Amino acid sequence: MPEGIYCNKRPITTEEELKALLSDTRGTKYYEEMLSLEVDREKLWATIQKTCKSRTKTWLDVCARCGLCADSCFLYLVNDCKPEQVPSYKIQSTLGEIVRRKGDVDNAFMRHAMEVAWSQCTCCNRCAMYCPHGIDMGVMMGYTRGLLYSQGFVPWELKIGAGMHRVYRAQMDVTTEDWVETCEWMAEEQQDDWPGLEIPVDKEDADIMYTCNAREPKHYPEDLAEAAILFHIAGENWTVPSEGWEQTSLSMFAGDWEACKLQVENVYAAIDRLKPKRVIGTECGHAHRATVIEGPFWAGRPDGQPPAPYIHYVQWVAEALREGKLKIDPAKRIKQPVTYQDSCNYIRNWGLAETAREILSYLVEPGYLIEMTPNKEHNYCCGGGGGFNGIGKFRPQRNKALLTKRDQILATGAKLVIAPCHNCWDAIRDLEEEYHIHIDWSFLKPLLLKMVIVPEHLKPKDEEEGDEE
Amino acid sequence: MFNKILFATTGSPECDSAARVAFDMARQYGSKLTLFHVLGIPGKGDSNLVIDTRTGEEVDADAEYLEGVAEELRTTYANQLEALPGVEIEVAVGVPSREVLRIARAKDVDMIVLCGPSEGQQSGFYKRGVVGDNLRKVAKAARCPVLTVSRPSASFWGGFSNIVFATDFSKASESAFQFAKTVVKAVDGELHMFHCVDLSRFQSPIALTQDGIEAKLAESRRRLHHEYATQLGDFKRYTSEVWEGTPYVEIVKFARERQADLIVMAHHARDVDPDERPFGSTLEQVIVRASCPVVSVNRPDKLPQAAEA
Ligand code: SF4
Ligand code: SF4
Ligand code: SF4
Repeated sequence: MPEGIYCNKRPITTEEELKALLSDTRGTKYYEEMLSLEVDREKLWATIQKTCKSRTKTWLDVCARCGLCADSCFLYLVNDCKPEQVPSYKIQSTLGEIVRRKGDVDNAFMRHAMEVAWSQCTCCNRCAMYCPHGIDMGVMMGYTRGLLYSQGFVPWELKIGAGMHRVYRAQMDVTTEDWVETCEWMAEEQQDDWPGLEIPVDKEDADIMYTCNAREPKHYPEDLAEAAILFHIAGENWTVPSEGWEQTSLSMFAGDWEACKLQVENVYAAIDRLKPKRVIGTECGHAHRATVIEGPFWAGRPDGQPPAPYIHYVQWVAEALREGKLKIDPAKRIKQPVTYQDSCNYIRNWGLAETAREILSYLVEPGYLIEMTPNKEHNYCCGGGGGFNGIGKFRPQRNKALLTKRDQILATGAKLVIAPCHNCWDAIRDLEEEYHIHIDWSFLKPLLLKMVIVPEHLKPKDEEEGDEE
Repeated sequence: MFNKILFATTGSPECDSAARVAFDMARQYGSKLTLFHVLGIPGKGDSNLVIDTRTGEEVDADAEYLEGVAEELRTTYANQLEALPGVEIEVAVGVPSREVLRIARAKDVDMIVLCGPSEGQQSGFYKRGVVGDNLRKVAKAARCPVLTVSRPSASFWGGFSNIVFATDFSKASESAFQFAKTVVKAVDGELHMFHCVDLSRFQSPIALTQDGIEAKLAESRRRLHHEYATQLGDFKRYTSEVWEGTPYVEIVKFARERQADLIVMAHHARDVDPDERPFGSTLEQVIVRASCPVVSVNRPDKLPQAAEA
């Protein structure tokens, strides 16, 4: 069977196709069909010739197989240092092999490569810091995923995720109407406590355009409300776009480059339309990578930059604290052992380690921050990056991968983990559920809201009408 | 009096008393009733899995599963549904409080009925504390009155006759009073207005002198009269009383003494820090302990119109 009904080389383009794929519970039929999915060898080789750039070719060639990268990979360490988990082995045995064989690989090979690409590498890019040649397996694995996706060898959940972006321009089925309605709803819900609070939609020339993660309007709209309250307290002139508000990209995890482009162009179109002075993304690491770090290249922007300065949430928070737009009540600073989860995607890949520490210096009473070992750009992936969190088929491997972070956290003795990245937050929640180490985890927004000093003029006026005793 | 009622249920036996009240109310007032079940909270990462709210198991909330859950609800409430045609059944996936608020807003309902947490609820997500969270968030944010029923002994709506209105004189309490007033007139019942001077809130020992307390009591009595009794017009079947102590304890005691079948109060949106006082606000304590349904009203937005009753 060349192509299955569920498992095939065609991307999802309509809502019907998406629903059909979703109805295949846990991808049972999908993975069954994958067993006989044919590899289009010619197309595969043609794609490689077209897209495999000199950097990747050079990397494949110059890798000395010295294994110096081995210890850098948390998956290698957590999997008993199996040779198969050495970064260079992972890439040489997949991408390297496909290239050497000029695309002449079979179904079993592709399924194996899929397993390596999505369950043995989270594209955390840590190994690149330790390879003497600067070879980055995360980048190459990302490229490999693209090849696999184009041939239909992609985990079921990620085929759906990429499909969501194609159909809704969001990782979940949140339509424009849903989104705008959620903004109104959240503004309305907060107005008793925050008179004058607004979530302005499509305001042109604002100082800030805010973008987020579709999980927020879908399941946790209070995150949006919290962002609004903090902008309100800080006195920011801000807006959200009605279209182009979703900043994440499961298509990046899936290797669906076309969907990546469609998704990021949607956000950039909003920037062009509303002309904000700058854009701020929510507390999400991969969203930042997708829209700010890699996005400009997908969208073919010659300067490699988004259409307006685009910063991560921790950058805005650090700035707001530094400039006194947000002031922390010293009495409310965190006075329990706390640690910080460095998100690979904006710490290692965007250099915000010190920015994050600056925030912590305001939030945590001196002496209570206990850094993980290693930390900052040397920190390990949470264990659920690169789509790993969401793939049912690789859940056992993912759960094992969480052990690194678990042990790092345990070693700090911290009871609270600050994790300003959706994916890391999810992974830490899961590791608590899986291994019960009795920790708490939090985004920045709720912590800030608990500690921030609310200016008198923003407080509700009727407060004291009640019981005056 | 209530055009649209939303009954949020898990379909479990704990919700039976709430179900009785919801169905009875809908019948009595010719209300459009929606049964709503949030079947699972979002599961792992970006996956499609959800945690089933009853079993705590991971499930795939696909169309088939959703339909299965709806079918189960239809079976659970078969008798009531037969007696009351036109009831809508909706199921959703998500954080329960959020989804209840979302559908209440979308359907513009006039009353939300929730099942309260009863003792011995140990299954699934109750263990995870979602219910307390759920109540708190819904009661705080809903635009319409929220009725919570925790005890099987709860009488049904048609039988309400003794209504306790407990106030702290806040703005939200004023909305609660408007609700109590309308309902008590509609059912031709008796209204018992109550305030508890909260002794636990006095930090200074000076304030705790007997004279000080008595002055507070007198002042509160005066306020009950001025702020509420004067609004009752011709309606004479009311009493007012002020006690001192810990508010939730006194409210529950007072309600028992008056054999109340409904307690009406506000939620106090602002004075609860969800983390520091889990399930600690007065309303929540009353809900857990009262033997009758409790209505919380925080806003004037969607109060029943007496004329329609
Ligand atoms: S990737 Fe770098 S460190 Fe790893 S084996 Fe190749 S050359 Fe050595
Ligand atoms: S990118 Fe990360 S997960 Fe992948 S091989 Fe390198 S260190 Fe390991
Ligand atoms: S989820 Fe967080 S830690 Fe894990 S790869 Fe992504 S950014 Fe890194």
